Amino acid sequence: MTVIVFLGSLLAVMALGVPIAYALLLSGVALMAQLDMTDAQILAQNVINGADSFPLLAIPFFMLAGEIMNVGGLSRRIVHLALTLVGHVRGGLGFVAIVAACLLAALSGSAVADTAALAALLLPMMKRAGHDPAKSAGLIASAGIIAPVIPPSIGFVIFGVAANLSISKLFLAGIVPGLLMGVSIAIAWWWVAKREAITPPPKASLAERLRALREAGWALVLPVIVIVGLKMGVFTPTEAAVVAAVYALLVSTLVYRELGWHQLHEVFLSAARTTAVIMFLVAAAMVSAWLITVADIPGQMIALLEPFMGNQTLLLIAIMLLVMAVGTAMDMTPTILIMTPVLMPVVKAAGIDPIYFGVLFIINNAIGLITPPVGTVLNVVAGVGKMKMDQVTRGVLPFMTAQFIVMFLMVIFPQIVTVPAQWFATR
Amino acid sequence: NDIETRTIKFPSASNKGHPQVVGVEKFAELVAQKTGGKITVKPFPGGTLGPDLQTVSAMQGGTVEMTVMNASLLAGNVKEMAVFDFPFLFNNTREADAVADGPVGRKLLDKLQERGLVGLAYWDLGFRQVHTAKKPIAKADDFQGLKMRVIPTPLYVDFMKSLGASPVPMPFTETYTALEQGAIDGMTNPLLNILDGKYNEVSRHLTITNHMYTPQAVIVSKKFWDKLGPVEQKILRDAAQETAVFQRKVARDEAARELADIRKKGMTVHELPPEEIAKLRERSKPVAEKYTKELGPIVGEMMAAVEKARAAK
Amino acid sequence: MTRWLDGWCRLLERLMVAMLAAMVLLVAANVLMRYAFNSGITVSEELARWLFVWLTFLGAAVAVHRQAHLGTDMLTSRLGPGGRRVCRVVGQLLMLWATVLLLRGAWQQAVINLDVAAPVTGLPVAVFYAAGVVFAATTGVMLAHDLWRTLSGRLGDDALAMVQESEDLAQIHELQLDRSQTFKPHG
Ligand code: NA
Ligand code: NA
Repeated sequence: MTVIVFLGSLLAVMALGVPIAYALLLSGVALMAQLDMTDAQILAQNVINGADSFPLLAIPFFMLAGEIMNVGGLSRRIVHLALTLVGHVRGGLGFVAIVAACLLAALSGSAVADTAALAALLLPMMKRAGHDPAKSAGLIASAGIIAPVIPPSIGFVIFGVAANLSISKLFLAGIVPGLLMGVSIAIAWWWVAKREAITPPPKASLAERLRALREAGWALVLPVIVIVGLKMGVFTPTEAAVVAAVYALLVSTLVYRELGWHQLHEVFLSAARTTAVIMFLVAAAMVSAWLITVADIPGQMIALLEPFMGNQTLLLIAIMLLVMAVGTAMDMTPTILIMTPVLMPVVKAAGIDPIYFGVLFIINNAIGLITPPVGTVLNVVAGVGKMKMDQVTRGVLPFMTAQFIVMFLMVIFPQIVTVPAQWFATR
Repeated sequence: NDIETRTIKFPSASNKGHPQVVGVEKFAELVAQKTGGKITVKPFPGGTLGPDLQTVSAMQGGTVEMTVMNASLLAGNVKEMAVFDFPFLFNNTREADAVADGPVGRKLLDKLQERGLVGLAYWDLGFRQVHTAKKPIAKADDFQGLKMRVIPTPLYVDFMKSLGASPVPMPFTETYTALEQGAIDGMTNPLLNILDGKYNEVSRHLTITNHMYTPQAVIVSKKFWDKLGPVEQKILRDAAQETAVFQRKVARDEAARELADIRKKGMTVHELPPEEIAKLRERSKPVAEKYTKELGPIVGEMMAAVEKARAAK
Repeated sequence: MTRWLDGWCRLLERLMVAMLAAMVLLVAANVLMRYAFNSGITVSEELARWLFVWLTFLGAAVAVHRQAHLGTDMLTSRLGPGGRRVCRVVGQLLMLWATVLLLRGAWQQAVINLDVAAPVTGLPVAVFYAAGVVFAATTGVMLAHDLWRTLSGRLGDDALAMVQESEDLAQIHELQLDRSQTFKPHG
């Protein structure tokens, strides 16, 4: 009954066009009424304390780092490096997009900034070279969503806080699965490009490669700082985020000299605005999370899923299908926030490794960014590339399928995720 | 009728199975027994309803009924509560129990009333010890230059400085990773929290210092308390005190077992010789002096009570 | 009124930028101190967290004004102007109700914590809860103003959406595509 009150009120209010954050607050009010404990303080207390978290401070810092890298010219140099490295092979520009996406993913925490940069730089080149615009746009969209799987990742930060898990462990466990997502779309692209048979750009000379590497070197130091810093023991994820932001700031002002005072103000403002929107959602979700706990909805869920509890793979497949369905219509952050308090107790009760589950969950949510009808990253590519949504949607299909296949392989063979996670966890 | 049907939400920070939660469960059982099942106590372990200080504020507003937490965490509300954090205040649990159950402990709990809280009893979490990732602390001088995580309170920062360590203020939730990654060299914890927090995985050394005792205040929202009749209030008070007797035994037995377990799991345990403890005690004296001025007469009363308990044998 | 609210939001945004800059400084300085001087700034963590809370709620209020919060118009976009207007009025009333509840709750909590001292800085914890009071008061005025504009018909049929579909899209608008070096055309 409480589940119905929660979901029913949430969806009804959202359908009116009310912001999700407010819909979460109102579903909290509905739950309070149903539990006969209506008190405005429950609302205020959980909302305000919901934003009070040191781990979540990583969000504005990674946001800031990502924006500085785009505006300050770091992203452009990374793409250029990828171009000199793999541009000359058959279908080269597509592989450039994938390599650049993996590199950028190691620099930034959200899919959007990355996808926008990739689309702005590579989509015109791909179209000019004669690649099918829809497939090119689709490839770039599916490459862009690697960002939240390879650390740093705002998705992992929010999930780690909501599920009370080590964000460092989640970060390190995401590296190999993120790269595998890249491999999967590379295979799909290879198959697409084989039939397109387009002459790739000429091979870059060694001198050109070295120059590109030197230029991008300043940017490439950043993922090394973050990953080695997290693994070898220098700082916590929040501190890694601030180091990334300060480093990007220094490189773009002192080395590249592409970031002026006025832009700096704009970059801070835009990071602050985006942060506030995400964090208000996080905070509002804490109200319903609190009431979900008081009402013991997870207990009801466990009872409901009882038939699956004996078989981890079956349970995971059921959960993954559910997340896929939600992901078609909902963005990453709200999906994480709404589903984590309900799913996590079930996952733990079934004895599934929570870090492993976290990786699957974030991958699923990331792919949700390119599934229609609501696929944010599709919107980004369509917007930047001035293309129609249905064209991009059609183009993304082979790559989205490849990524779902990899995800389900990870469900069936957990070792794909857990074994590399183990390498990184042990020093 | 003297007893009405009610539900008490009783959150706490530790996980199920931890002696703190065993206490909550015992309390729930006693209350059910004494009220013929009319008053239900619902435990919420693992901090699922929010961190301690948020819970306190919720209790003051009347949206959560009870909790149990480190008494000194209430210093933001009643500054005198910080007296429990005085280094080397008690030599053993017998002294600690005598003082906590005596007039000084009661006086501190009663002070909570003006802040919308009713203190019922003190449970146990044991003495704080030091665990370090790599560098052992085998003598007082070993604190020199170590990056020690501190509970972010001024008194604790000063205490670590007085021992020569570099205090690193850090939220509790970050400490596991910080130890693992070397952002800090060590931290302090009651024995009961070490395996519970899996700190054995990230610290090689444990040093028995007993430098602070951590009584757990069992508190009720005054808004809720005032709705209760005298019979109900008495039942809750009695149940909390009865639980205290049981819970202290459970916690102390468990701590002893825990120490053996910690050894078994490969941590090296260092017992400081009395003269080294004496050095630590000496070095931290200025801290006690500084905060004696700040906290006022309660410190004198506390010291007198400790002396009395010590003499009683 | 709209002009007054716009001005207020610009002021809040200046504050947000200052707060974010202060947060970066506090946390970065703490890391630096730990490695360079083997010590830390005691107040850094608590101050940074409180600034974060204020940044969140000031920014959330501004986002209500700019209709930048995330949501979906999957259903409402299929309705005619009349249906959309009804949805908007009902939605705004609900939001206003939640805001009033928030205002009351945050106020009660702020009063309770007037002389509760924060563990490190010793600042009154009321300052922390006041973020909710300022948010709810500001947002309440915005929503009431919007509701009046919807009811009085001052709001055109084309401006009836209350949300944007995605945070990421907001970011795109924020990316300053025109000014960024990445997005400048390169041969
Ligand atoms: Na990333
Ligand atoms: Na989708």
